[in-house]
Amino acid sequence: MSATQTLASVEGTGPHRASGEQERRTKKRNRRIALALVIPGILGIGVTFLFPLVYMIRMAFNEGSGNGIVVETFTFATILDPLTDSYYWKVTFDTFLMGLVVGLLCIVVSYPIALFLSRTQSKWMGLLLAAALAPLLTSAVVRTYGWMVLLGDDGLVNSTLLGVGLIDSPIRMANSMSGVVIGLVEIFMPYAILAMMSGFGRISTQLEEAAGSLGANKAKVFFRVTFPLSLPGVLTAFLLVFVLSISTFVTPRLLGGGVVQVLATEIYDQATGLLNWPFAAALALILLVLFGAVISVYQALIKKIGG
Amino acid sequence: MDKLSLVGLTKQYAQGIAPAVDRLDMSVEEGHLVSLLGPSGCGKTTTLRMVAGLMDPTAGQIKVDGTDITNTPVHKRGMGMVFQSYALFPHMNVHENVAFGLQMRKKSKSQQDSLVKGALDMVQLGHLSKRPVKALSGGQQQRIALARALVVEPTLLLLDEPLSNLDAKLRETMRTEIRQIQQRTRATTLFVTHDQDEALAMSDRIAVMNGGLIEQFGSPTEVYERPRTRFVANFIGRANLLTVTIRGEETTPNGDSRYAVDVPGFGVHHAIGEAGLSGVRTLLVRPHRLSVSPAAPGSDGIIGTVEALSYTGDSVSYSVRVGEHLFTSERLTSGPDRMSQGDRAVISWRANDALVLPESTEE
Repeated sequence: MSATQTLASVEGTGPHRASGEQERRTKKRNRRIALALVIPGILGIGVTFLFPLVYMIRMAFNEGSGNGIVVETFTFATILDPLTDSYYWKVTFDTFLMGLVVGLLCIVVSYPIALFLSRTQSKWMGLLLAAALAPLLTSAVVRTYGWMVLLGDDGLVNSTLLGVGLIDSPIRMANSMSGVVIGLVEIFMPYAILAMMSGFGRISTQLEEAAGSLGANKAKVFFRVTFPLSLPGVLTAFLLVFVLSISTFVTPRLLGGGVVQVLATEIYDQATGLLNWPFAAALALILLVLFGAVISVYQALIKKIGG
Repeated sequence: MDKLSLVGLTKQYAQGIAPAVDRLDMSVEEGHLVSLLGPSGCGKTTTLRMVAGLMDPTAGQIKVDGTDITNTPVHKRGMGMVFQSYALFPHMNVHENVAFGLQMRKKSKSQQDSLVKGALDMVQLGHLSKRPVKALSGGQQQRIALARALVVEPTLLLLDEPLSNLDAKLRETMRTEIRQIQQRTRATTLFVTHDQDEALAMSDRIAVMNGGLIEQFGSPTEVYERPRTRFVANFIGRANLLTVTIRGEETTPNGDSRYAVDVPGFGVHHAIGEAGLSGVRTLLVRPHRLSVSPAAPGSDGIIGTVEALSYTGDSVSYSVRVGEHLFTSERLTSGPDRMSQGDRAVISWRANDALVLPESTEE
C-alpha cells in the first residue's frame, strides 16, 4: 500500500518538476534564438544608419576649407555659420513650407481615393489598388522629367492653354516652386494613399450608419464621424509625405531648374559641388532637427487623438 | 392606427437568387415591442435595415403613422437604432455620444444637457457622463447606446441583436431592463434576435421569420403554444413532431377541434387543433407535456427504450427510441419513477397536450 503510494508520488512530482525546468530551458533558448534573429538587423542598421549618422554629426564639428580639405577639429563655427546667415534661414523656411504644402495637397487629393479603395467591394478592387500604386513602378527621376515636359513653357499644359486662347503668355510652372510642389504631390500620392488606407480600414461603417440614424446628413456624418476617426491615418500620411518631400533632392533640382533652393539641394551643392563636407553636414543637421520637430508634433497629436 | 406597417416589402440582392425578404406584410401597434425572430439568413436584419433607411427595398412600402417613408433618407426618419456592436462614437465621451442626435436636431445647449442627463439617469449611468466610451464595459456601452437612441424620442426604436455580445448573466438582466425602459417610454420597438428565449420574454408580438417570409406573427403565447408550422414549432422551444393522418374531428365548446389522428405504426391517438383540418398534418407534443414512465411487463401503448438522458438539475430529459422515432420528454427531477439508460419506457400524451399544426404537410 505504502509502496504504491510512494511510487505514485514519485510519478506525480517527477514529470512536473522536469516540465518546470524544461519550461525555463525553453524560455532561455527562445530568448537566445530571438537575439540571434535580430543581430543581422541590428548590424545592418548599425553599419548603414547609425554609424553614418554619428559620422555626419561629427563631420559638422569639423572645419571645411572649401576646396575639399576637411580640417579635423572640434568647433561650433561650422554649425553656427548657416544659423547666422539669413539665406539659410530662408532656405530652411522654404523647405519647411514646401513639405507642409506638398503634405497638405497630397492629403487632399489622396483622401477620396484612399477612402474609396478602403470601402469598395468591387471585384476590380485589386486592379484599382494596383493602378493607384502603379506610379511607384517608375522612378521619381522619370516622373520628374515627365512633369517637366508637361509643365514647361512649351509643355503640354501651356501650349494647350495658349492654343485655346485662355492665356497670352506661358505660365511659369516648371523651374519654379509651384512646379516642384505639383511634381512632388503626384510622386508621393501612392505613399499617402497606402498610409491612409491602413488607417481607414478600422473605421466601422456602422458608426456612420448610427450617425445617420441619429439625424446627421451625409456632410455631417463625414465631418463629425468619418473625418475625425480618419485623422490618425491622415496624420501618418502627412508625416510620411512631409518627411519624404523635405529630404528629396531630384525633383526640386530638376523641376526647380536651379531657381528653387531647399536644404536637400543646398546639401548636394555643398557636398559635391563645393566639396565642403562639414558645411553640408551642418545643413543636414538642420534637416534632422526639422524632422525631429515635426515627428514630435505628430506624436503629440496622435496621443491626443488616441487618448 | 398602426405605428408601422410594411406592405409587400421585398429585398432582392441580385437577380437570380432568392430574395432576402419576400413580400413581407406586417403591422406594429403603437407602443408594442415586436421581435423579428429567426435563424441567421432569414431576412430579419435586412428587414430592420430597410425600416431604418440603411438599405433600399427592391419593392414594397414602409409606412409610419400611415405616411409612406419608403423613399425618406435615413437621417430624416427620426428613428433610434441600437446596433449589435453598439456603434458608439469612439472619439466622443458618453455625454457627447448621447447628445449627438439632439445636436443634429439643433436643440439648445441647456436642453441637450437636461435631456442627456435624463436619458443617462434612465439607464442608471448618470455618473459616467464624462467618461470616454472606450473605458466602458459591454453592458455599460449597451445602455449608453440605448440612451442615445431613446433621447431623441424616436418614432420607432430599432434594436439589432443588442444583447448578443453580452455574457449570459448580463444578457438576462439587460433583457428585463430594456423591456422595462421600453414599457416606460412606450417606444414602439422592432427587435431583431435569433434567441427564442429573448423574444418570448420581451415581446408583445413575435414575427417568426424563415427564408425571407414571416412564418407566423403572434403573441409569445400563440407562437409557442399554437405554432402554425413545423418550422415555428421546431424553432421556438423543443418539439416532438410526428407526421399523422387525421381520421376524425369533434368540435369542442371553445372552438377548437378534438381530432383522432393515425400515427403510423403507433395506432390512433387524440389531439387538439383549430377546426377544419384534414389529411396529412404534423402533430406536436412539447417534451414537458410528453409523459414517459417505466413500462411494466405486458403494458401496451408506444413502448421504447431510454437511449440517453441528460440531467440539468431541476429537470431531466429522456431520449426514448421507438423504432426510427426518437422522442424527447422532459420531467421534473422531483417527480416519481426515475429511469436509467436502457430501461423500457412507455410513451403517452393527453389529447390536450398534443396539437395538430394547421400547416399542410402534403408534398
